[in-house]
Amino acid sequence: MLLEVKKIDAGYGFLQILRKVSLEIDKGEYVCLVGPNGAGKSTTLKTIAGLIKPMAGEILFEGHPITGLPGNKVARRGISYVSEEMNLFVNMTVQENLYMGAYTVRDKKLQKERLDFVYNLFPRLAERRGQLAGTMSGGERKMLAIGRGMMSSPTLMLVDEPSFGLAPQLTETVFDSLEILRNSGVTIMLVEQNVTKTLEVTDRGYVLENGRIQLAGKSSDLASDPHVRKVFLGV
Amino acid sequence: MSNNPTVSAVEWFKSAAGLTISLAVIAALAATIDRGPYILVNTVVTGGMLSLVAMGLALVFGVMNIPMFAHGEYFMIGTLVAYYVFTPMNGYIDQHTGTLAAALLPLVAIIVAGLAGGVMGVLTEKLVFSNLRKRSRENWVMNSFLLTVGLSVVLINLHQLIFGTEFKGIVGYWRGAPLSIMDVFISRDRCMAFVLAAVMVTAFWLFMTYTRTGRAIRAVSQDETGALIVGIDLNGILLLTMSMSCALAAFAGASLLFMYPSYPSVGLEPLYMAWFVVILAGLGNVLGAVVGAFIVALLKVLTVEYIGSGWEFVVPSVLIIIILIFKPSGIFGSEVRGILDK
Ligand SMILES: Nc1ncnc2c1ncn2[C@@H]1O[C@H](COP(=O)(O)OP(=O)(O)OP(=O)(O)O)[C@@H](O)[C@H]1O
Ligand SMILES: [Mg+2]
Repeated sequence: MLLEVKKIDAGYGFLQILRKVSLEIDKGEYVCLVGPNGAGKSTTLKTIAGLIKPMAGEILFEGHPITGLPGNKVARRGISYVSEEMNLFVNMTVQENLYMGAYTVRDKKLQKERLDFVYNLFPRLAERRGQLAGTMSGGERKMLAIGRGMMSSPTLMLVDEPSFGLAPQLTETVFDSLEILRNSGVTIMLVEQNVTKTLEVTDRGYVLENGRIQLAGKSSDLASDPHVRKVFLGV
Repeated sequence: MSNNPTVSAVEWFKSAAGLTISLAVIAALAATIDRGPYILVNTVVTGGMLSLVAMGLALVFGVMNIPMFAHGEYFMIGTLVAYYVFTPMNGYIDQHTGTLAAALLPLVAIIVAGLAGGVMGVLTEKLVFSNLRKRSRENWVMNSFLLTVGLSVVLINLHQLIFGTEFKGIVGYWRGAPLSIMDVFISRDRCMAFVLAAVMVTAFWLFMTYTRTGRAIRAVSQDETGALIVGIDLNGILLLTMSMSCALAAFAGASLLFMYPSYPSVGLEPLYMAWFVVILAGLGNVLGAVVGAFIVALLKVLTVEYIGSGWEFVVPSVLIIIILIFKPSGIFGSEVRGILDK
């Protein structure tokens, strides 16, 4: 197993959101986490990424415990988190932001290779390389956040709602880029509102409701599950 | 935004920053023609040192969101350490004027004082702010502000208890006749104070712009979570920031020991002046602080010259109040405006 999350409880201050959440991801898998608003999907990703310390439970990455490690150490282990809020460096240019994504990569040649890879994937970013991140459109910023997340050649990418607020065409671009990434061997855990599309492209999925994992299984099975259809697809 | 250079130049002159800088330059030139070049010289020397203190203040606010009111005490620590390091060397320097050692020993005292400030910064972050941060980040700006006020009181009183209230000053660092610049005689110490400030500002700017660590500091000031996500050691950067900014203040204090003898509350004046600067320039705007320092220095020099000494705090204070009412984000705008909104 690449990532094992074992019965974690997590939340904010005294407010507990996640209750005994367990999930596993194998190397190379494309896994999704879906659930209604406020279910705790982002909280789950933040806990794995080390931005929130779990109150209980254990997280193993490549067999080693990473529970309670600060975010920067988790990042150095090879987990890249693309947050819902993007957390870009607004007063830096697109290219500076991308290079910051490769902060842990000291090899200049490798950095350049990653940059070319990202520019290839998102030609729009290459066009805007000199623009300040803070002045980019919402869609461009999403691309930049994903691009920055790829710069460190992560083993596992946690991507939180990459298509939120994007026009259908851009949504396609984003899903395509995740597909390319996955084909290049990166393991992806995706949180998405667009459940139909997400269950189409991913291998497996978890359904989170009220901070608990309600269902888990192959994405194709989940797509035809009566409960999922009722809650997410409105049928 | 326009790509046409003439149009953007005109726009810049019309902006608050352009207007202020242009006005300041005109005022400086007019006063220089009216009263003589010493106005310009005084402004440049005062501004240089003030920029060191103000830069640290802007940095601590921009990166750590701490409105630092104990910054003057690191200036004080600088004067104190420089005094105790330099005084024993004084006799030797008197006997060996003109030698290389006599020229370098003052530098040793100033550098040691700067390093001592850096160490005090580390202790401050480790003992005070990191503990507050662990406890709670709610109401951070207010809580950390109150802590810095307390810290200031503690440091001032510690100085008083341990070293007493008398002035601990020196006659001068560098021996020799004053240098004549534009027909103005200025002491070697003043010249050196400006040179040292210029070197520090340049070095600091290069560090922030071109080094990996400098970029990490800027990243933290723009988005802490983003910085963590890309693998930046947040606590390390916060520690370094506090240490650097205290070192800058101590370095400034040490270089100015010939003007400001060490006593418990010697840091208050530079602190107020530096706060004028960062409010003028925009909180957290580190490079703006350098320009702002020269503007405030000019204001101070002109006030003393034309209105009389004793007014040099009144005029800038009034100006600051006006700025806070009409342009609360400062003339150059702040990179970290969002922090106060959060
Ligand atoms: N910083 C915070 N402080 C306190 N409570 C929070 C914080 N962030 C989120 N919450 C609460 O935690 C719960 C779960 O939030 P989370 O962001 O994990 O949900 P989500 O499943 O990602 O929802 P969405 O689909 O809307 O993004 C919500 O009730 C939310 O109000
Ligand atoms: Mg969410």
